[in-house]
Parts: sequence; structure tokens; C-alpha cells
Amino acid sequence: MSGAGRTGRLPRALRIAVAAALASALFPHLARAQMYVGSTAPHAGSVEVSAGASWAAAYELNARNAEETRNTGSGSDPFVLFATKSRVTAGTGGQVRVGLYLTHSLMVEGGVHYLRPSLDTRVTSDVEAEGTVTATERLTRYVVDGSLVAHLTPLSFAGGHGVPFVLGGAGYLREVHARSELIETGREFHGGAGLKVWLGGGAPRFGVRVDVGVSSRHGGVDFDTARRTVRTAGASLMVLF
Amino acid sequence: MRRAAALLLGAAVVSCLSVPAIAYLKLGTRIGTRTVTMKWAQLPIRYLVTNRGVPGVTAAQFEQTVTRAFHTWDAVPSAVVSSEFVGFTLSSPASGDGATVLGFQNRPELDRTLAATSFMVDTTTGAILEADIFFNSSFSWSVAAQGDPSGFDLESIALHEIGHLHGLAHSAMGETELRAGGRRVIAAESVMFPIAFAAGSIADRTLKADDIAGISDLYPAAAFNRETGTISGKVTKNGAGVLGAHVVAFDPRTGKLIGGFSLSDDGSFVIAGLDPGPHVLRVEPLDDGDIESFFDVTLNIDLDFRVKVYDTIVVVPRGGGTSGIDIKVQPK
Repeated sequence: MSGAGRTGRLPRALRIAVAAALASALFPHLARAQMYVGSTAPHAGSVEVSAGASWAAAYELNARNAEETRNTGSGSDPFVLFATKSRVTAGTGGQVRVGLYLTHSLMVEGGVHYLRPSLDTRVTSDVEAEGTVTATERLTRYVVDGSLVAHLTPLSFAGGHGVPFVLGGAGYLREVHARSELIETGREFHGGAGLKVWLGGGAPRFGVRVDVGVSSRHGGVDFDTARRTVRTAGASLMVLF
Repeated sequence: MRRAAALLLGAAVVSCLSVPAIAYLKLGTRIGTRTVTMKWAQLPIRYLVTNRGVPGVTAAQFEQTVTRAFHTWDAVPSAVVSSEFVGFTLSSPASGDGATVLGFQNRPELDRTLAATSFMVDTTTGAILEADIFFNSSFSWSVAAQGDPSGFDLESIALHEIGHLHGLAHSAMGETELRAGGRRVIAAESVMFPIAFAAGSIADRTLKADDIAGISDLYPAAAFNRETGTISGKVTKNGAGVLGAHVVAFDPRTGKLIGGFSLSDDGSFVIAGLDPGPHVLRVEPLDDGDIESFFDVTLNIDLDFRVKVYDTIVVVPRGGGTSGIDIKVQPK
């Protein structure tokens, strides 16, 4: 019977998978060599989730003097009661990203960053007080962004474990003052590059991701309307499904 | 009331009802144990002008100049005030006749007073019924477009006095120095600072942020309460409240300076009319003018503390207030 004849045999696809698994177990160095480049994962539809630390550099705000109008005969420049110089300090926090592979090397991802920088205003040259005072407050910054990630598969190394990537995208900026009295929102565009190192093969598999970039921002906590550029960096653990 | 440069002012108000000036940027009148803000209940403010000129300023020029000053206050977008010139009168600017009159008067005995405002107030409501401003013709006056060093700028002084006429008290937003014969203003950032700039200066033809906050706090347009906010708190020294501390909110985005005072024994203060966003607070003793220029002489104003910059940035919400600010100052 033809039916009986097929009973003891595995389907062709399953046989190939079993053979690949055996090969992977017996010759792991060969399997690793194909983990990224030329492998079946990631592929269109693969999902990558990462979580880790996020950092954004400090940026300077305008220096502004507290000025009064001089009386006639007291000079022509404004009278400076005191001088201020403000900055938003570097912030550290966390990030979570979820990515969807469109192809073997292209991925779209969305992420949320949470950071806690400070707004510092340094007060100097007070005409009636000695010394310098820095007035400060803690900010809470959220960035919700989306990016297109291009993996540079021809540049992969370490047997395919490591793969550099570049990314670019845009996001929404939400910065909350210390006592939530005021929320300042803005937009950002970003670009960057990074490196992923996978710690295993197949899917699901784990890895480490680091990236650096620049974010061009408008709005949020700022003292003028010009765009500003902020350096960013991140390090995450990731898992590919 | 505004005095000549190099000289100090007396009380802010010369009133037939002797109302004290003890409220933040605003004049007040005591009704029993409470203080009621003095303000006009009915607008526009209808005023007459004394049909009398002085050397260098005709009656017509006087009217045109004070009308410009009224219009400067009327034009503040965050406030609802208006005025109307009714006509010339032969009457002098004197209280009690039911008419609001502005004009020159020769008052040589007031050798340090350029001009002064007096009021008639409904003591049950605080409503201003009448206000009169006299400009002391024993001084030289100028209406020159670019100012004239031989005379005090009439428009600048009128703008200050009309601020009083609306119900504003003096601002302490200025710096002075003591010289032989009196105190001289070095710089100021409020038209309502009690000491005038030198003759020839036209700098006080323009309202500053502190003036705009004051008039808007007194006669707020709907947008004022919606778009600006307040900071409130206490100034304390060794655990006790400081009365009469000058608290200045500085907006590091715009450079605006807006001030207020701690007005009670527990050191409480409120500063209104602030743009939303971060502010730096600076507290100083009221040492750039006579205390009587700002407060009732019976109050025990504390001048014995050092200037202090609060080490926390205070953020003003839009249409709300940030409260509970506790600024501790140190004795000198």
C-alpha cells in the first residue's frame, strides 16, 4: 500500500530541518557562520525586542542677563543685576524597542526612551551677592520614536555574530518639569549607527546592541526656537523571535 | 507720587482717605480687619485736564501727552483698562469734587515731588471713585520727542502717575545709590519704581514686564489668567517669616523681571503674571528706597538679611500656580 509505504518516513522539509539541526550540533562553527548572513533568521516578519540603557548628551541653552534700564549718566549699556547661563544636563535612563524585519537586512522599529536630565541655571555676577548659585530642577524626558534600521550584512564579522547597522527616523519629544507643572513637547529627527552581536543562533536568540547617534530636536525644554543637535547613545539586550 | 532724581519718595498715595499701600503691586484700603484692593469699578476712566500750561508745555500739549500715557496703559493686551478724555477744566486737580483731573500745580514746598496722585475711594468696596494727579510746576517740564535735559519728561512721569491712578503701588525693581543730598537711581526696570530717571530721560515712556504684570493682575483680561501663572511661597529667616522682602522672578528664556513682596508676618508672597516656564527667584531686602515709598510706616519691614538666589528652578504652569516655595534667607 502506498499509504503504508509512507508511514515510516519523515517529510522532506522536516528531514532537512533535522539534518540542519544535527549539523548545527555537530559542527557549531559552520552553523554560526551562517547565523546572520544567508541564514533564514532574521527574515521578513522576524521580531526583535530590545531593552536597556539610554543616554543623551547635555546641551547649552541661551545665556541671559537680568537687565535693568540705566538712568541717564549711569552708562549706556543695560545695568546687569545678575547673569545667567542655562543648560540641560546629560540624561541617563532606559529604553525599550520593538522591531519588525521587512527583509533579511531591513527593519522598522519603534521605541520609547525615558531619561532624567536636569535643567541647571547658573547665576553669576550678582551686584549684591557674592559667589555663584546654580538653580536646578529635575526633568523627565520621554522620546517615542520610529526608525528604519539597515543592517550592513556585507560587513558582518565574527562568523556572522556581529553586524553593524545604521538607522534613521523621527520621534516625539515630551519633557515634564519636576513637579509636573508644565509639559513641553517637541519633535526630533535622528540618525545613527551601531553594532549588534548575537549570542546564539536561530530564533529565538539573544544578543547585545549598542548604538550612537545624533538627534536634531525642536521644542521641548529650550530657550529659543532654533533646532538643537543632541548626541545620543544606547546599550541594550535584545532577543530575536 | 514721584520724586525727582536723587531724591526719595514719600508715601505712594496722598489720599484724602489715607489708604495704606500694602498690597502686592497694588494699592489697598483697609475695611475693618481686611484689606481690599483699590481699583476702578467702572471703565472707561473719564478724566479732565486743567486748562493751564507751564513754560515749554501748553495746555494742549499737556492733554496730548497725558492722553498718550493713558493709551499706553490701555494698550496692554493682557489687561482690560480704558480711558476717555472728557475735556478741559478750570479746576485744579483736587480731591473731593467728583471729577478726575490732571494738571499742573505750583507746589514749591514739595521740593522733591515731581507729581502725585490722590484718591477718593469707596471704603466699603475699595472702588476708586475719583483720582487726581498734580504735576509740580515748580520743576521744569519737557514734551520734546527725544527728551530735553532741561526738563523732566512729562509723558514718563504721567505714565507712572497714571499707574497709581489705576491702583498700582510702587515697584522695587530698581537700583539706587546714596549720594550727598539723597538717593540717585542707577537703573530701574519698572515705570512704577518710585524714583524718577534724570531730566531728559524718556526711558519710562515704555512699560516694562513688571508694570504689565501689575496692571494685568489688577484688571485681568481673560487671556491673562489663562496664559500666565503665579509663584507663591514664603520667605523665612531663622524659622520666622520675613515681612517686606522683595522677591523677583527672572525668566531665563525672555529676560523678564517681575517682582512682588512678602506681605504678611509669616513671609508669604505671591508673584502673578509670569509666563509659563522655568524661573529663577531672587530675594533682596527693600534697601533701594524709603520704606514709606512702598509700605505703611507702621509695618515692621525686615531689612536685615542677605540677598538670596533660590537654588531650585521654579516652573510656572500655564493658567495655574506653583505654591509652597520656601526661601530661607540669612541675617546680614
